[in-house]
Amino acid sequence: MITTRKPRRDKESQMPRKKRTCRFCDAKEIYIDYKDDKRLSRFVTEQGKIIPKRITGTCAKHQRQLVKAIKRARHLAMLPFVSDSIR
Amino acid sequence: MEKARLYETTFIINASLDDPQADAVIGRVQDVIVKNGGTVNALNKWGRKRLAYTINKKTNGFYVNIEFTAPAPLLASLERSFQLDEMILRFLTIQLDQKAIAARAKAQAAAAAAAPPAAEPAPVQPREPLFKEPAPDRKS
Repeated sequence: MITTRKPRRDKESQMPRKKRTCRFCDAKEIYIDYKDDKRLSRFVTEQGKIIPKRITGTCAKHQRQLVKAIKRARHLAMLPFVSDSIR
Repeated sequence: MEKARLYETTFIINASLDDPQADAVIGRVQDVIVKNGGTVNALNKWGRKRLAYTINKKTNGFYVNIEFTAPAPLLASLERSFQLDEMILRFLTIQLDQKAIAARAKAQAAAAAAAPPAAEPAPVQPREPLFKEPAPDRKS
């Protein structure tokens, strides 16, 4: 059976949602460095939680690397485990 | 003889120490690496930074990053010395894999490509004035 998938649409606008691409694949990134805390902080919520790949569009391979980098950065107190506002 | 591998260690020193004292701590770490058959390839002082959360009731830390080649048993003694040193708040040692080395080489190449034009601005050519001075006879 052939199924055709409709593009997902936003509820309000009824426009086809723009396909998200992995930012690390776009930049042809081979390694995600834990030392680059400014960059990592973009993949973390205000509370300090890691944003899931379904929101950011990161591919599985890079998400795994990213998670590792974020956890290393947390260990070195470059990123928070929990943000100050919650504590 | 153990195979030597490339490692990188980042540690946080108590920021309330002044610079000579911090250097002494760094020297001790280097000593441990060298005495156990390793070689220090690079030492990077990131300096004093604010910690994202308090460690031992401290809000600031002095970050140091050392890259070294060493046989694997060194790591155990290095970790032991880190734990014994009260002035070291945190440490993280990782093995640098091929990807990390490749990425760093790429970043360095990019930085080198970007740096020369910034370092040496193009010489400004003196240009002929667009409007010549009015002839002196008109003024008089």
